[in-house]
Amino acid sequence: MHLARRRKSSIFLGLLPALLLYLVFAIYPILQSFYYSVMSWDGFSAMTFVGLENFKELFKDPLFWNSVKNNIYVVLASVLGQVPIALFIALLLNRKLKGAKIFRTIGFLPVVLSTVVISLTWGLIYNSEEGLINEFLRSVGLEALAQNWLGDTQWAMIAVCITVIWQFVGLYLIIFLAALQNVPEEVLEAARIDGASEWTTTWKITVPMIWDTIIVAIVLCIAGSLRTFDLIYVMTHGGPSHSTDVMALYMFNETFSNLQYGYGSAVSVVIFLFSLMLIMVVRKALGQKVI
Amino acid sequence: METTIGSKSKWKNKEKGAKKKSIKKTIIYVVLTLFAIVNAYPILWMVINSFKSEQEFSVNQFGFPKEFVFENYVNAWKAANFDILFKNSIFICLAATVVTVLIGALASYFLARFSFKMNKLVYTLFIFGMIIPIHSTLVPMFILIRNLGLLNTPITLLFPYIAFNLPITIFILTSFMKAFPKDIEESAIMDGCGVFRTFWSIILPMSRPAVATVMVLNFIHNWNEFSFALVLINDPNLQTLPLGLASFAGQFTTNYGAQMAGLTMTLVPIVIFYLLLEKEIVKGMTSGAVKG
Repeated sequence: MHLARRRKSSIFLGLLPALLLYLVFAIYPILQSFYYSVMSWDGFSAMTFVGLENFKELFKDPLFWNSVKNNIYVVLASVLGQVPIALFIALLLNRKLKGAKIFRTIGFLPVVLSTVVISLTWGLIYNSEEGLINEFLRSVGLEALAQNWLGDTQWAMIAVCITVIWQFVGLYLIIFLAALQNVPEEVLEAARIDGASEWTTTWKITVPMIWDTIIVAIVLCIAGSLRTFDLIYVMTHGGPSHSTDVMALYMFNETFSNLQYGYGSAVSVVIFLFSLMLIMVVRKALGQKVI
Repeated sequence: METTIGSKSKWKNKEKGAKKKSIKKTIIYVVLTLFAIVNAYPILWMVINSFKSEQEFSVNQFGFPKEFVFENYVNAWKAANFDILFKNSIFICLAATVVTVLIGALASYFLARFSFKMNKLVYTLFIFGMIIPIHSTLVPMFILIRNLGLLNTPITLLFPYIAFNLPITIFILTSFMKAFPKDIEESAIMDGCGVFRTFWSIILPMSRPAVATVMVLNFIHNWNEFSFALVLINDPNLQTLPLGLASFAGQFTTNYGAQMAGLTMTLVPIVIFYLLLEKEIVKGMTSGAVKG
């Protein structure tokens, strides 16, 4: 009895520091964003309750829809770019190859770099006067193709998406490699003895066996791209003329530049609910496998 | 994984097969090499050009520098106050990582090894944090930190960094600790060890591999974090590297050499860190990502 009581207080004491910090600085803010989203507030003077006014206004705001559209581009580029490239490279790397480890190491490198470093590096690569791409085009005599990549409304989004793909292919590569290692060798061996070509084995056995992981990767990819912020904030700031604006960036500008805290929070809530919905759908589709 | 031709096949077939195999291997290597170049070249390009003078950069972007110019580094170091940025980043990173892993491990220990009424609820609450998009918390975080009087202090960033790294930390550590056999603590308690003593002298040392993974993941997250720093810090003396670098690049838009030198200086420590601890990083990324 005495021991049990002592254990109970130990459990409480042990959980307290983590739980307290987490509740105050992660859970409380996310709940607050719901509260602020039904208020009209500039962050300093008194708040007034406006109900769903912010959301109504938001859904009528063409700039918000523009940011949604651009965000969908990022999602599409990520899912259609990162996942297939990563899967392809992972399938190539998942065999006895000399130097496989080096390719893996280099492949994953961009993932550990700070997004700010990546944005600035690629900013220089896209630089209109002295950037790598234009310099390359000039050196092979294709000067006519040189562009102001990040300064042109037609090209900016494409340039941004290429960088996003480059940054995260490695992440999915590693995830796929981990999954491929769990495919039992005997199954593949059996298929080979039955005379299946490598192509058939890959498509009929390997890929179906890691299908769950592929779905998880797609979800991570979608959820991750809905949150794109740092990269675009540093590279283009959403410009030129909103052509690379995404939801998180739009939220940031509305809140901290235009001081519309309530309105900005409404955007936050939409991003949050969107991510949550997506994860729920996939969780349902996959059973309990995701989170 | 290599396909082997059965020993019964005729010699001719074998030779044909071997030739086909070597062509296939060559194609694979070409593809992988291309992939590696695409991954590494942007970074190498930047590092190499950071040693060139402005004139050389504009005429010779692809080759190695004729002579290494270190002036870019001196300029960047001075202009961006790199000594302050490095100091701030190292302090925040280390402090946040140590606190997160310590209190996270302690919480994981109780969640993994004890059954109590709220166990499942508390665990789920923590894991939920992995799906919160941090940008949704920027506004309330700013207001909260401001109301607590914590804007622009040396420890401001510790709070969000710890809070948002706890979920993955607890997730990885709990699943690791759950796998220990039960009798370990039982014998410790028999010997008169208290609960906390058992955690500190038995469970924590036994969790070393997972703790290493979590430490590395935390460190990289904190080292690279930008959004919270952007919103919560505007005193140049308190900026972290990513933040300082972004504002420095904004001011030096045309001084490419200094920009690239600044980027290289930020890049090198984390690349070395990655190469040394790659195993831990990859382990953490996959266990975190595949399962949640």
